Amino acid sequence: MSASHVQALAMNTFRETVRDRVFYLVGVFGFVLLSATAVLSPLTVGAQGKIMTDVGLAAMVGIGLLVVVFVGSGMVRKEMDKGTIITILAKPVGRRTYLLGKFLGLNLTLTTMLGIMALLFGLALYVAPGTFSPRFLVAVYLTFLELTVINAAAVFFSTCVSSVLAAVFTLGVFVVGHLSDSIRDFGRLQGGPLQEKISTAVYYLTPNLEAFNVRGAVVHGDVIAADQVFMATIYGLGWTAILLLLAGGVFSRRELR
Amino acid sequence: MHIPINSGPSGSGGHSGRQAGLSDGGPATLVDSQAAAADLESNEAATTPLALEVADLGKNFRSGLLCRRIRGIEGVSFNVRRGEIFALIGHNGAGKTTTINCLLKLCRPDTGRVRILGRNHAERDARARVGYLPERPYFFEHLSGRELLRFYGKLLNLSGADLDVQVDRVLAQVGMTTAADRRLRQISKGMLQRIGLAQALLGDPELLILDEPMSGLDPIGRREVRELLRDLRSRGRTILLSSHIVPDVEMLADAVGILRGGRLVKSCERREIAAGASYMVHARAPGEDPQRWPTWLREAKPEQSGVALRIPAPDTTVLRGLLSSCHQDGMAVGSVETRHTGLEDLYLAVHEQGVRS
Repeated sequence: MSASHVQALAMNTFRETVRDRVFYLVGVFGFVLLSATAVLSPLTVGAQGKIMTDVGLAAMVGIGLLVVVFVGSGMVRKEMDKGTIITILAKPVGRRTYLLGKFLGLNLTLTTMLGIMALLFGLALYVAPGTFSPRFLVAVYLTFLELTVINAAAVFFSTCVSSVLAAVFTLGVFVVGHLSDSIRDFGRLQGGPLQEKISTAVYYLTPNLEAFNVRGAVVHGDVIAADQVFMATIYGLGWTAILLLLAGGVFSRRELR
Repeated sequence: MHIPINSGPSGSGGHSGRQAGLSDGGPATLVDSQAAAADLESNEAATTPLALEVADLGKNFRSGLLCRRIRGIEGVSFNVRRGEIFALIGHNGAGKTTTINCLLKLCRPDTGRVRILGRNHAERDARARVGYLPERPYFFEHLSGRELLRFYGKLLNLSGADLDVQVDRVLAQVGMTTAADRRLRQISKGMLQRIGLAQALLGDPELLILDEPMSGLDPIGRREVRELLRDLRSRGRTILLSSHIVPDVEMLADAVGILRGGRLVKSCERREIAAGASYMVHARAPGEDPQRWPTWLREAKPEQSGVALRIPAPDTTVLRGLLSSCHQDGMAVGSVETRHTGLEDLYLAVHEQGVRS
């Protein structure tokens, strides 16, 4: 695997998202933030900071998810359908290198977007009196990890199924990933042995995205332990690696014509 | 070119016909020089190293939920010598693109062996020496031509000044220097084809695989591409191209393979196609009763005003001998007609054969 190939592919993917105006979504974030400040603040006397933090962090996840679902899930498939992939793989570029480059390119887009949104968000908190706390950065970091895992899932689905199905499945990973604790508990408490097995399987076969959710803690000013952040980092990177390895395995057997 | 499979009747027939004609008479120096040239060519052919070796290549596809089998190609074998242009021609769906995709490992062949420049085609280094233009050259529309070429150059491990020089060189080669900074979504199909050709030329590859390189080009563009390919050949580059445009192939190719229904049904060299030309001599008959005509006129076809004599190969020595015989037997020659049986006739004959069978 060549680092220069990965870099070239990643930068090309990043440039594609920039020129396809994906960054306009940052404007949507700004709009949401301003709306939250203007509309909700007068209604929530004394809790303005909490509302802003809650809405701002949720908007970051939502916008990041939109990018991953609509860009990430069609990323590889679109190139397969159009045929651009053929000229790349006819060069001395490995298929796994190609996938890693595409994945890192979109992750660079997500990082840049989250960086800009975090900056805007920090400014908004700073301007509103008594609401600024740098702890929101921990939530942004874990949101980035969560989106990285979903991006890897999108790349995996995009090597197996059509763009539409890949988008649906990627969205499914997000939903099930946030409900996996509840699904396992529901299986244990309500179902029979079969339901319990199924719910346990779902729990272990999908990433538990609640591991990255510290947004509530940030909003309420709770302490976030360094251990928790460290374990979430290991967990996120582990899932990302597994999904990318699976994607590489499927894609290396894929017939292109 | 060494062709390990069915070379077909017109190939060997044309060649042996010419050899037989040479012994019939005429100036000894011409006969000798022609024979020597033919020998030299075949010896050269035997000793030239191979750029591409394809043996028994087969590929089927599976489609749908029931994994229905779709035949791609079967038992395709051919070799391409270094420094020659080999053309694959055939109808839509004949298997040209599937063959090329198998060569480049874009799909896994079910059977067969492929060696590119002496190395197994699965080796990544073998592909580093190959330039490829796909049939439908869709590229990243968000990039300009120059940006696209820089991107592909990086995938070939080019960088810095070397990359800049190479990009400028290939842009000039395909006549896209002035339009190099326009986004690909804003340029015409012909220009896109030129950019596709430029990316194939990056890194100065030893072997070029071009799938329909003339597609979408206007007549001037086609001529420019033909000249470019000839120039590349003169600089020792090997070219495998597939095309529907038979006249272009005829003008360019040193050897041709005709695909039909996923099989390579005929392959022949340029001189064998040229050997498909013939002479028709129209002369006055030596008498009214054919029974009393000289024996050498046995094959002649009677016409209203005399006889027509066909020389199956474009051999001037045989023609001279025939004209001399006519003169000796008092037969006035009315006209000598040259008839060309070119690649298109050969291609159509192969296709008709397929339709009949």
